[in-house]
Amino acid sequence: MEDLGLKIFGAILTTIMAFTVGMTYGGIVRKLTARVQNRYGPPVYQNFLDLLKLQSKKTNIAHGFMGHMAPVWIIIAAVTVLMFIPILNGNLWFPNLSFHGDLIFLLYMMVFGSLGMALGAGQTGNPNSAIGVTRGLSQMVGYEIPFVLALVALMIQFQTTSVQDLTQVQHETGVWNAFANPFAFLAALLASLGMFRYSPFDIVGAPAELASGPVSEFGGKYLGTMMSGGAVFAFIKLTLYVHLFFGGAGNPDDSGILATLAGIGILLVKTFLLYMIPVFYGWINPRYRTEQAIRYFWGWPTALGIVGVLWAVFFN
Amino acid sequence: MNIFFLLITILFSGALLVFLINKVAPKIGGIIAFATIALVSFLFFTQVDTGDTYQFTLGEIPMQFGVTPYTYIFAIIVLGLGTLASLYSIGYMQGKKRLGYYYANFILTVTGMIGIIFSQDFISFFIFWEIMTWSSYLLVIYTGHKSQNIGMKYMIFSAIGAYAMLTAIVSIKANYGTYNIADAIQNGAFNFSEHMYIPIMLLIGFTVKAALMPLHVWAPNAYSKSPMAFTSIFSGAMSKMGILGIGLVLASAYSYTDHENVNYVVALRYTLGWLGGITAVMATIYALIQTDAKKLLAYSSIAQLGYIIVGLSTGSELGVMAALFLAIVHGIFKGALFMVVGAVEKQVGTTDMTKISGLIRKMPFTFFVALVSIIALAGIPPLGGFVGKWMLYEALITESNNYFLVIVIFFSSTAAFLYSYRFLFGLFLGQEEKDTEHVKEAPITMIIPMMILAILLMVTGAFPGILFEPIAHGMHYLGFSDVNWDMSILVNVWGEESNMTYINLSIGIVFVAIFAFLTIKGYKGTKNVGTKDISTGGEIPTENENLTYQMDFFKPFERAAAPLYKRSMNKIWNDLGNALEALTDFIRKIYSGNGQTYALFVVIFLVILLLFKDTLFAN
Amino acid sequence: MENDKNSQKIVDYIGNFARKHSLFVLAYGTGCGAIEIPATMTSRYDAERFGIRGAATPRQADVLLITGYLSTKTLKRVIRVYEQMQEPKYVIGFGSCTVNGGMYYDSYNTINGLDQYIPVDVYINGCMPRPEAVISGFVKLQELIMAGKANNGEKYRENLEHYRSNQKKIIKNWKMPDYNW
Repeated sequence: MEDLGLKIFGAILTTIMAFTVGMTYGGIVRKLTARVQNRYGPPVYQNFLDLLKLQSKKTNIAHGFMGHMAPVWIIIAAVTVLMFIPILNGNLWFPNLSFHGDLIFLLYMMVFGSLGMALGAGQTGNPNSAIGVTRGLSQMVGYEIPFVLALVALMIQFQTTSVQDLTQVQHETGVWNAFANPFAFLAALLASLGMFRYSPFDIVGAPAELASGPVSEFGGKYLGTMMSGGAVFAFIKLTLYVHLFFGGAGNPDDSGILATLAGIGILLVKTFLLYMIPVFYGWINPRYRTEQAIRYFWGWPTALGIVGVLWAVFFN
Repeated sequence: MNIFFLLITILFSGALLVFLINKVAPKIGGIIAFATIALVSFLFFTQVDTGDTYQFTLGEIPMQFGVTPYTYIFAIIVLGLGTLASLYSIGYMQGKKRLGYYYANFILTVTGMIGIIFSQDFISFFIFWEIMTWSSYLLVIYTGHKSQNIGMKYMIFSAIGAYAMLTAIVSIKANYGTYNIADAIQNGAFNFSEHMYIPIMLLIGFTVKAALMPLHVWAPNAYSKSPMAFTSIFSGAMSKMGILGIGLVLASAYSYTDHENVNYVVALRYTLGWLGGITAVMATIYALIQTDAKKLLAYSSIAQLGYIIVGLSTGSELGVMAALFLAIVHGIFKGALFMVVGAVEKQVGTTDMTKISGLIRKMPFTFFVALVSIIALAGIPPLGGFVGKWMLYEALITESNNYFLVIVIFFSSTAAFLYSYRFLFGLFLGQEEKDTEHVKEAPITMIIPMMILAILLMVTGAFPGILFEPIAHGMHYLGFSDVNWDMSILVNVWGEESNMTYINLSIGIVFVAIFAFLTIKGYKGTKNVGTKDISTGGEIPTENENLTYQMDFFKPFERAAAPLYKRSMNKIWNDLGNALEALTDFIRKIYSGNGQTYALFVVIFLVILLLFKDTLFAN
Repeated sequence: MENDKNSQKIVDYIGNFARKHSLFVLAYGTGCGAIEIPATMTSRYDAERFGIRGAATPRQADVLLITGYLSTKTLKRVIRVYEQMQEPKYVIGFGSCTVNGGMYYDSYNTINGLDQYIPVDVYINGCMPRPEAVISGFVKLQELIMAGKANNGEKYRENLEHYRSNQKKIIKNWKMPDYNW
């Protein structure tokens, strides 16, 4: 029973950490964006205030059951995926369920939230929401292709489909997968631009065109819960990338307090640097049209992904 | 009487009874049909064991009935879905014409499928195959004159398949001296190095029913124009008869290990795998531009069958298991989805997604079934569809060496999210329009079978082992030694697993927690509003204002994928038809029916003989 | 919200602190005043450092910013937008026109005095008020929120009949749907 208690404690700790980190990163990005635009910018903790305000709204409206459920789906997907990815390589504090699901599962589970969100947005009946959803789904078909190509390349190169094992391989050989298979890495990196939905791929929200798209009818507690889910998802994607390509974080042989803290520190540094790539790319780019975005992903990123797969086959 | 004969007799007499009783009491026809199929299912699952056989001779041909562990898998689909679909028919067909015709053919189709499953020899197999084809053809043209061309197309392709199959059967008899399927396989009938055309002919026959490209063109229209209660078994169960045959041929072909055969089989595997992959992609991208919900589902059926064939083509343990699992689960969710569309058609009168929207409040149960089935179709955890998809991907990545096929399949199944959403949004979400104000929930006889299917999808997601057990037996019969399976843990050959118990547990706990949080928090201040109360820049939408977004739903995607839409198999077949017509026209110029022309031909022939007599008759 | 300063509970205090520092503004550009909003938001005056941020739809917004004169035609839209916002919600009247009609005080189709039709928390006068003035208006609103005095959404709901009769006086062809309330 002690074991179970520890596990539940670890799961809750993981969730809180993911949420905090995701929200803080969002705040930092807002601050940095402001500085780039020669503004002073909001405080770093601004996202927490926004969330608190949304959650303390006195009235809320929902457009029916699916609208009520939309944030629930997002949180389900976010927390479940979080439970199944390794936070620190081999660490005993956050093992959660990372041995019980592999990459294919994670890929599909991530869609769960988007689909739920899409259904909720659909029930509101706002045409802008539906347009936003179709754009988002179309864009997903775009960036999933290079992303999956990169994942397949990694999987066949190291003969494993588990994130945990892919991290362990990097730990043992000392070579990051970003260098072990550079083409797959580039493909995944370009795909991540679409995944984080900063410019030029912010076609889903697109405030000026679609009145914030799918979330245009959500306010108060619904919007707040969605924001939290989004923050957790940002952390998930970053952690997944770090574990897949940047050698992960944490020392599998040492789960002491100090080593764990050091691992978290390394994870934060790596995720933050990775996060800056789509953000930097976004600062200097205007928005694409949907078909341009899809074509973008089916162009060079996919070509790089194919080269990555061939690389994995021949240099296996 | 032997149990197999008893079952077939019950079905035939049921069909006859339903047809005759329609004149007297048309109302009870549906109940009799349901009772017949339910009785057969009950008898089958309680009385028949796998391995039972019964031999008899018809004329001088020895025939054999029986159930192998492999065909047992398909019996589950046919009888399970057949029973539910016949129950559903009672509600769906209420108030329609020609009920005797419908129910009799419905039972005959089930008879044909059950006969195929029972048949242990090629003769009875072919007979029942034709019964199935003909009775389903009669149901495709149920609506009469309008569906004439569609029925014709279906019949032509079925005939191509049937002739190919018959050729193969006769050749097997000529070359191997037996009609018995097991004996023929034993003698090497499906060995590619001996008589390559035999397995290929058979495969052509089967792929027509499994709607594999390029023989799929009959499917979209036939699936969408026949009565929906029938389409749920047409697409859910009958297409699986093709899968049954393909699986049998492929698995037998894999089992011959002589070097030459192995080379051929590898080529065949690649061909079939790529055909399946391309079928999946093309059907998917055509599904997402449909505006008719039925047609969307018809294309999606073809795409899903493509996945199953890809799974079979891997020839690995996990791949074949994935294919058979997907076959069952596809039967469940596609059956349910066609029932959903049928319910909408019955209650609203149309399935055109540009005309209806916002049915969720009027038909909540139907929506629930649609939602669960769509989640399974899209392969999103934790339902049965995910289990199948997971195994398929793992098989392709770990065992097939066909890595680009993975991408093709993945592209298709990501694009499948698009039409999945289109289906749910088009029918159930969006603005509630005035035209659909009168709509009510479907009658209880239609809801019950749909609900059962939805619950089955959840159960197969949580405990896929229930289905793995018969599948493992069937695969053992096909020659896969010791098939590993677990009640709710999926494992690939590299040892990575997905644990459905933990997945379900995690989803369940988070669901309860967040749902309770959202519902309880600020409960008094939360209210539900209608779909007209949306932010439209302060403008007040009038009652007749159309705010529904339904036309050109995925236009950006269409623009991006424009090159893919240029090719159409239909066009190629039409061109082929035109070319044939031109050829026959040309031949008519030779056989003009004029005596003088024929005399001229004779003269020309004689001249040629005279001119070339030295070379022709040199020896 | 019965939280006048003396009886303000700790929960309200925290909530008000968050509300104060996170104001999502639906800038309803009714008149010429809309031109001041970009200046307020962008790098020179940077309203975002106070947590003030644009919102795309009324569902997400806290503050309705009426920038300039309101014709009777626009008033309908403003009322609907205001009613679609979620409580607690605040209104800032911007420019002289919203206060007393401004230079359009005798026009046949603009309204004089916004607070007859929807409750206004803060008026910013001037024609135009410069971004500094706008920000000072927001700061005033923040003070009101912190003191627990900005609860006009509730006031509107309670005195709905009064406001409705005023609104109907101006808007002759009243076609507001009844599902709003």
